[in-house]
Amino acid sequence: MLQILAQLIVSGISVGMIYAVIAFGYQLTFATSKTLNFGQGEALMLGSLVGWTVVAYTGYWLMLPVVLAFGLVQGAVVERLGVRQAIKTKSESGWIMATIALGIIFRNLAENIWGRDALKFPSPLPETPIALGGVRVLPMEIAIVVGAIAMMAAVELFNRRSIYGKAVVATANDRDAAGLMGINTGRVITFSYALSSLAAAFAGVLIAPVTSTGAAMGGALGLKAFAVAIIGGLSSGVGVVVGGVILGITENLTGYYISTGYKDVPGLVLLLLVLSFRPAGLFGRATIKKV
Amino acid sequence: MLKIEKLVAGYGKVRVLQEVSITVPKGQLVTLIGSNGAGKTTTLRAISGMLKPESGTVMLAGADITGMPSHEIAKRGLAHSPEGRRVFSTLSVADNLELGAFTRAIGARPRGEIRQDRERMYEMFPRLAERRAQFAGTLSGGEQQMLAMARALMLNPEVLLLDEPSMGLAPLLVEEVFATIARLKERRVTMLLVEQFAAAALDVADYGYVLENGRVTVSGEAAKLRGDPAVRAAYLGAAH
Repeated sequence: MLQILAQLIVSGISVGMIYAVIAFGYQLTFATSKTLNFGQGEALMLGSLVGWTVVAYTGYWLMLPVVLAFGLVQGAVVERLGVRQAIKTKSESGWIMATIALGIIFRNLAENIWGRDALKFPSPLPETPIALGGVRVLPMEIAIVVGAIAMMAAVELFNRRSIYGKAVVATANDRDAAGLMGINTGRVITFSYALSSLAAAFAGVLIAPVTSTGAAMGGALGLKAFAVAIIGGLSSGVGVVVGGVILGITENLTGYYISTGYKDVPGLVLLLLVLSFRPAGLFGRATIKKV
Repeated sequence: MLKIEKLVAGYGKVRVLQEVSITVPKGQLVTLIGSNGAGKTTTLRAISGMLKPESGTVMLAGADITGMPSHEIAKRGLAHSPEGRRVFSTLSVADNLELGAFTRAIGARPRGEIRQDRERMYEMFPRLAERRAQFAGTLSGGEQQMLAMARALMLNPEVLLLDEPSMGLAPLLVEEVFATIARLKERRVTMLLVEQFAAAALDVADYGYVLENGRVTVSGEAAKLRGDPAVRAAYLGAAH
């Protein structure tokens, strides 16, 4: 009994970390521009499929930089085509429709290039589970957790240590004041979209060896990660990790103890509860403002 | 150094500035006084690119900067300590100062010694030295004002715009702010100062402009404006 519970929790954690990385991407663009890429799930899907094509020639590790670079470009394209104009005209909702539309276009594109079926993604690590105290873990599941944390830590380090990272934080704090420092805040916003899609593309090639890939993989992941971003708060890095893991675990528990048919319900119920009682998210902080 | 001619600017359809012309010579301190809503802050915003002017010209060191985005104007050496301080609240005091020198760090302006300049700011504002590792959002209003001024100075600006540096501060801190401005003047920093405390501003300035309903109504040497009966009655709180 306990062993099953432990098993469900452990495999919930790795899925949860994928949600966390995508949700982290939502946070990146929200911080600088107060906008989100609702095609984030499709960014993950595209990254994953590009990785699937490239991995056949290069192997897994050399494929990673190609996919990350692709993610950067794809995110920058989304910002230029879908978001920039909406920010310029201070449109409240233009970016919502534009990023959803771009997501649908990307999905159609992917269906035409790679087809509609799920594709098996070669795993860089052995596919036999390791037994850890009675719990069976795939090496790739461990790699997901490590990769996800490394990715978020790298961005955090960049933001805290480098002058360009500080310029990103400054833009998030106060865009006008950042402009007065000589920071090209329009470029910072493009960059945060690029980084956000990079995170999604990275998540896509992390999870693909475990779940397979395909043009349809993005929608549900993007939506669940959105729930995680709301649950964890759009401003808290720790929040998305905790939120992602909570969602990953509850999904697994519900799927096993209740029914796989209800797998998605608890996360969305949690989302509704958080929206009602803590709209800033479980870890969202009220920003300090002095007048 | 800074020359504004017939500047017209506003928000949407509301025109705030009507052909404002101001000259700030190199090494001088010019002050812009006037009542609330006269357009003082709007003037500074239109100069630094936070607001796009409708017409008129802004010349910085002989180059036309009218309508440029603020980050381009900063690269040309104009620093603006804005109304409401606008410090970066989730960054440390040290990081705020470093970002003041962003244009230098990326090579858009002469680099010089950024770290040494920061130490100089700590000497000038000892309170900031004590709080260098703290988030700027946790500072008191007076400390945030010091930080906003120090951050602007980190640009090594050709011209420094100061918007209401005394706003909301206790009287003792107001004195400190004006003492700092006087020290900057001794160092020949070219400044355009917007102030509600007109008397104190005219005491420290070389030259003054009075703004009324978006127009310059009176201008002249600061000493003369202090003696002008109309200015005294309207802005210096003198008895009639």
